[in-house]
Amino acid sequence: MHYPWWYVPHLTAPMLIAAISVLHVLISHYAVGGGLFLAVEVAHAYKTGNRAYLDYLQRHAKFFVLLTVVLGAVTGVGIWWTIGLSSPLATEVLIRTFVFGWATEYVFFVIELAAAFIFLYYWGRLTEKTHALIGWIYALAAWISLVLITGITAFMVNPGTWADGGSSQDFWTAFFNPQFLPQTIARTGGALLLSSLYVYLHASLTIRDAKLRDMIASRSARPACLGAVLITLGGIGWHFFLPPSAKDALAAAAPLNILVVLIFALTAVVFVLLYVGPYRNPGWLSPGFAASLCLFGIAAFSTGEFIREAVRKPFIIYNTVLSNQIYPEEVQKLRGIGYLEGGVWTKAFVKTHYPQAIVNDRIAGSELLKLPHQDRVALGEVLFQYHCNDCHAAQDGYSSLGRLLHGRSRELVRNSVDHLDSIYFMPPWAGTAEEAELITDYLMTINRPRPEGMRVGTETAEVK
Amino acid sequence: MQPNILVEQVAANLPAPIWFVQFFKALGFTLHAIPMNLWYAGLLIALWLHLRGNTHGQRFGARLLQQMPVIVAFGINLGIVPLLFLQLAYNRVFYPATILMAWFWLAIIALVTLAYYGVYAYAWGLRQQGNAMAAWRKAAGWCAAVFFLAVGFLFANGLSLTEHVDRWADLWKQHSVAGAATGTALNIGDPTLIPRWLLMFGLALGTTAVWLLVDATWFARNTVDEDYRRWAWSLAKKLYTVSAIWFAAAGSWYVYGTWHSAIRQTMFDWPWLPLTVATAVAPALPWALLMTAGFCNEKRLTLAAIALCQFGVLGLNATSRQVVQNLNLNPHLQLYTQPTAVQWSPLVMFLVVFVLGLGVVGWMVWQVAKSLPSPTR
Repeated sequence: MHYPWWYVPHLTAPMLIAAISVLHVLISHYAVGGGLFLAVEVAHAYKTGNRAYLDYLQRHAKFFVLLTVVLGAVTGVGIWWTIGLSSPLATEVLIRTFVFGWATEYVFFVIELAAAFIFLYYWGRLTEKTHALIGWIYALAAWISLVLITGITAFMVNPGTWADGGSSQDFWTAFFNPQFLPQTIARTGGALLLSSLYVYLHASLTIRDAKLRDMIASRSARPACLGAVLITLGGIGWHFFLPPSAKDALAAAAPLNILVVLIFALTAVVFVLLYVGPYRNPGWLSPGFAASLCLFGIAAFSTGEFIREAVRKPFIIYNTVLSNQIYPEEVQKLRGIGYLEGGVWTKAFVKTHYPQAIVNDRIAGSELLKLPHQDRVALGEVLFQYHCNDCHAAQDGYSSLGRLLHGRSRELVRNSVDHLDSIYFMPPWAGTAEEAELITDYLMTINRPRPEGMRVGTETAEVK
Repeated sequence: MQPNILVEQVAANLPAPIWFVQFFKALGFTLHAIPMNLWYAGLLIALWLHLRGNTHGQRFGARLLQQMPVIVAFGINLGIVPLLFLQLAYNRVFYPATILMAWFWLAIIALVTLAYYGVYAYAWGLRQQGNAMAAWRKAAGWCAAVFFLAVGFLFANGLSLTEHVDRWADLWKQHSVAGAATGTALNIGDPTLIPRWLLMFGLALGTTAVWLLVDATWFARNTVDEDYRRWAWSLAKKLYTVSAIWFAAAGSWYVYGTWHSAIRQTMFDWPWLPLTVATAVAPALPWALLMTAGFCNEKRLTLAAIALCQFGVLGLNATSRQVVQNLNLNPHLQLYTQPTAVQWSPLVMFLVVFVLGLGVVGWMVWQVAKSLPSPTR
């Protein structure tokens, strides 16, 4: 609407955000928890004079830097890239609200980078005290980065009173939103747990000395268990402070039902494996066991991130930006003047391709209906791109409308357009009645016939 | 110029004064340009010297290649600052431009990731196996250099398209489905694209020349001899001369061959004339310092002046780019009349953290400076 829409066939553009952010989250939590692990363990190894452990920690630090500083940092920038391309209006709101939060986070990231490189490249060349202190500087800066970013991502789920407008629309109200504390607790726990799982995998693959491996298994079990407790507490808080629509979506949408069960099951498996494995029986830490534990953890994390994204529907930012890149307060206006007229790029499209529909420099709804059928379909497709393609592919692909509408009559499709938000996780129809006709024309062209061979008892006598 | 109908003004408040946004955008770009120049032209030079250079050339090539992972890390990080402030105040032109070329814009992330790992492969190969490193590591380094050049080309595309909104409509018509951008456009028809790209490469040659001296005089001070330092000064002079000529040629092409006459008239008139002239002649100062500095054992002060001048060259370039960008966008984007409600307390928080952060980084660098020498040196 305010920006051109990016058409990504089959997948839809916002799914690219999901792909990059899940990868980033799996690395960035390790960047936080792994920093704490290195700071604590290096100090411990110096204190106990354990040279073998220090050697291992140096190898781990190399792996850590290679993964977090390279892929973690670049995928972090990648999220910026994809949100700007796929959700420019929501990104505009976030940046105008949180620019100084991001700028501050950037300062901490510079500290992280400097500390990480000095910690690794000057290993053995600094005094033990200074080396350990730099490890702690890294760990603290990384955790503050997590806190700052969590304030912003939590805002998207529930901005609290900020969304009421007026004087409450200040930075601090936005930052200390209802989701801030629970998500910070959960993400801190996630960082502790996930980093332990990475440590287990790395240690099991690279350490031959069983005694050293058992010691690492045992020592890392404690932060992992603490992480598990924090995730549980944060998760409960997260659910408690969800907006009602998000709670209902969790309960009502079948895919989310399954994902919620999945995340509970996966998390429980991780907790149990942690307890019976590294905590009670450190000797069990074989590469296979560690890999299984890590995979279960990654699966649980990825599922959690997907749920976090999905419960926001029909918003990108709750009560602030709708999933089709408009503000809720624009809906009534667009219903009056038309979705095509209200959008910068949609209006330019009509002006270029269908000047006959322009009267007094405005798109006239009555003129749209006079267009030949193929032109009505073409304009319907424009409406689909700018109103629906955020969440739905066309004929095939992610949540494709062609398959969702399967065999519905034109009247039913038209009725669905008029009452889009009768399903509360859908945005309302934000166009005129004439535009509803156009998009219905288009949807009927991608609407697939009802699958053949079904017998549900309503077939005609002739068929019987 | 008529306002472009595809540019919509923002209704939401700008959280900082526009001068603050522009200052940090230009400062951030200048700081980013230092490491970026080193991977843009420096990486190619280092690879070439390491492959075909004399003993000193191979030594410098190896040094720069081993420094490159850290340079890339800081370069990427410093690049976030100008992009953050660009997205803050110029979002209504930046997002549409990048959406039109979305797949190429997204490819930057993939290319930078691959280039970054390529640089690591080469650097760690050097560290572990020296010149006998595996062929794939060498190939990875060369691929990284090519990828960084491609990234520069894509950036020049995105930012020239951000600035030239009159090019959007045609690209959109050619690269869209039902009014939605397919993200496959490239701004290759823009006459400013190639000179912009080349101009930055010219600056990058100069920054690499200065880095060569900084490395020889400071970072490698305990490990190189007089002969190496003499070689470094000699190469730096040649490299900076090429840089200055390149800059002059690409700059002239850019200014006289591609600028709209109205922009040229404004930039060559008061109050922008001093900035234009300073930007054009700025490389002459470090070049003159380099050329007049006869070789002597102790010339750190001269080198500090040269480095400072090069920073000034990059800063003036960033400032002029900012002014030209504003002039091109003025008819379309109401930059200076945007509603503004300054977020004072977060702004102060950022500035305080910024100063404290510099202090912490400074303390860590001081610890490094007094650290034990590397056992491998």
